[in-house]
Amino acid sequence: MIFALELPMQEPLFTIADKLPVPELVVTEWAIILIIGLFAYMATRKMERVPRGLQNAFEMVVQWTFDFFGQMLGESVAKKWTPILSTFFLFILISNYSGLLPGAAYIDGFKAPTSDWNVTATLAIIVFFSVHIAGFREHKMHYFGHFIQPSPLMLPLNIIEEVARPLSLTLRLFGNVFGEEMIIGFLLMMAPFLIPMPMMALGLLTGAIQAIVFTILASSYIAGATGEGH
Amino acid sequence: MPVRSRKWLALAVLLLSMIIVMGLATSCFASEEGVPPFPDIAKIGWTAVNFFLLLAILYKFGFNPVSNMLEERTNTIESSLRHAEELLVEVEQMRKDSANELAEARREAQEIVARATQIAEETKNEIISRAEAEATSLKNKAIAEIQAEKEQALSELRDTAATLAIMAAEKVLGRALTDEDHQVMVREFIKDAGDLLC
Repeated sequence: MIFALELPMQEPLFTIADKLPVPELVVTEWAIILIIGLFAYMATRKMERVPRGLQNAFEMVVQWTFDFFGQMLGESVAKKWTPILSTFFLFILISNYSGLLPGAAYIDGFKAPTSDWNVTATLAIIVFFSVHIAGFREHKMHYFGHFIQPSPLMLPLNIIEEVARPLSLTLRLFGNVFGEEMIIGFLLMMAPFLIPMPMMALGLLTGAIQAIVFTILASSYIAGATGEGH
Repeated sequence: MPVRSRKWLALAVLLLSMIIVMGLATSCFASEEGVPPFPDIAKIGWTAVNFFLLLAILYKFGFNPVSNMLEERTNTIESSLRHAEELLVEVEQMRKDSANELAEARREAQEIVARATQIAEETKNEIISRAEAEATSLKNKAIAEIQAEKEQALSELRDTAATLAIMAAEKVLGRALTDEDHQVMVREFIKDAGDLLC
């Protein structure tokens, strides 16, 4: 007997060629990509040796991220992995802020993508693979030795640890953003004006904090995999 | 219980109640709205694609141009610094050269002054010695001339005196004197006159 697995799926916004469903959330992601891409394009359109305006700000941010991750990962590893870590940060930050429109959680197409655990899980899975690729690139086959450290008996626990990391990344980000959106939505229902404002102001802060936490955790996992002791 | 503590207690209870109400309401809303279904393959697939699309866009328009620009700027600064160092060495060499040239010029000037002083001294000495020699020669010449003049004058005086003496003697004697008389008389007269004159 063939077991047909029925996967859950929300009603898509539209489908491409009647086969590829495109949920609303994906369109929001495209908008986010467009905003970040436009900002990057505007900043680097006319690069000058003496930076001014947007170029100056963008260069400062890029330089700062390279310096920041350089301190955590070391110069050579940071050079390879800073772009992906910065992309995590920007994507999560703008995603979190996209849900700050009043009542975004209840308007289709305005929900923060990070309030959906499919998105946070995808990001966490990318982190999971990035960590192991980084570790393998740095230490080759010796990298897998850390799964049986300090004793082969620890193998199950080490595997659980590796699986727990993306799980915690997924749930932390999803829980925070989803919960915050719910609370803001609830407050809006109670009193549409003024009352939700403090929570939304807090949302600005937590949105940035969650993006920073996710990125720093990802970089610390990469630092752990690429560091000494394998 | 003091009034202040009671105020804080009331505030804490209010805050806690608000949090509980909000939490309960949130969970109610969440259950009503529903947590998105998991795993939604479309969302997961699209999110992965979108993430790598964003990464590619940032590589193209963000990291690569900025890295290239930073590298170019680093190279420019390094080459400027290197050029500045070269210039500094060149300037230092020029300063040394000019100092050497100045010292050489000073030494040459001193030599010229010393040589000129020496030449002037020699010329002065030569002029002085020549002048002294000339003066001496003039003096000697003058002395010789004076002596000659004196000799001539004395000779003329002697002749005149002899003549006068002869004339006087002739007057006294009333006759012409013989050569022998002449000689005796002249000799005696000259002797007397010479003693008187000298």
